[in-house]
Amino acid sequence: MIIVSYILMLIGAFFYAIGGLGIYRMPDLFNRAQAGTKATTLGTLSLLLGVGVQQPSWIPKLLLIAVFIAVTNPVGSSTLARAGYHSGVPIYEGTQVDDLKELYKKEDGLDE
Amino acid sequence: MKRIFALVLVAVVGILLFSGIYSMEGFPRYGEAEVSERVSMSYIDKNVTRENQEVVFGVSENLETGSANIVTSIIVNYRSFDTLGEVTVLFVSALGVSLLFGSFEGRLRSRYKPNFILRTGSKVVFPLILVMGAYIFIHGHLSPGGGFPGGSMIASAILLMYLADEDFRVRIDDFKKTEGIAGAMYVLLGLVGLMISNYFLSNFLDTGTVGTLFSAGIIPVVYVLVGLKVGSELTGIITDFLKGEVE
Repeated sequence: MIIVSYILMLIGAFFYAIGGLGIYRMPDLFNRAQAGTKATTLGTLSLLLGVGVQQPSWIPKLLLIAVFIAVTNPVGSSTLARAGYHSGVPIYEGTQVDDLKELYKKEDGLDE
Repeated sequence: MKRIFALVLVAVVGILLFSGIYSMEGFPRYGEAEVSERVSMSYIDKNVTRENQEVVFGVSENLETGSANIVTSIIVNYRSFDTLGEVTVLFVSALGVSLLFGSFEGRLRSRYKPNFILRTGSKVVFPLILVMGAYIFIHGHLSPGGGFPGGSMIASAILLMYLADEDFRVRIDDFKKTEGIAGAMYVLLGLVGLMISNYFLSNFLDTGTVGTLFSAGIIPVVYVLVGLKVGSELTGIITDFLKGEVE
């Protein structure tokens, strides 16, 4: 059981490392945001799962933390990326698809 | 060359740190630290009781303050009058902001409206932050934290709702009433202490068992009042700062 929990924690730490590498290596804001967010969301959930396996009495608190992370992390990252897009952060030249460009041009810079 | 040097430096510092920490006397091995013994025992007031007796977490009764968090026992018991002054300082600054911005009617708006993801996500997180803030100030006498951090958390939840929802408005009169009532209750509590045991804000309630929720006399009561007051004051400041002339 202990070994399972350590393996889960190691997977979490591995995803953190990958996320850090992604933030360092990716070419522009949007790639960096998605690298950091996806990796840390998965990493945190895996880490919490590992702690839960080791300490079953902490599971209610860990579930609450997991819900909090699962809500705040993607929402925060999406909001940051959106604000970046609106304020004209340069996009990597290799980008193939930019769906927002047409959408926002049509609505004169104001969505909704 | 530079990179290799940096790598070697990081490795050497890491080895030094870990070997240093793990060979240190009294540093617990991983997984063997008893938090309830280490942190709380140093929080529990050992020297303020006249007899200087051993204090056991969850067993000792009727200590002088009975607060498991020694920082709290100073802030809200021995120096409670000082805390009343701090709350007043915050009140005066909130009043100043209100005087500066109070004449504006409209609300500052960003150029881009918050989208669906942000609105829904913040609605999910909002009650969680409120509960966490209340937890922090209710457990001020047991764990790190207290009225000021708890109140700030509640105000930060309100700020989140302001940023995430264009149409969100707090009913600011209710917050002003809460603030006034909480402040007045704090002073009244001090006056009751003055009547019962001859000095202002004295801890006149039973201090109970160290480490339980209902312990430490008036400390949790004061912290709940301070938390409500700080939360509503900071909410007022946020609301005033977001005011502005409509374009």
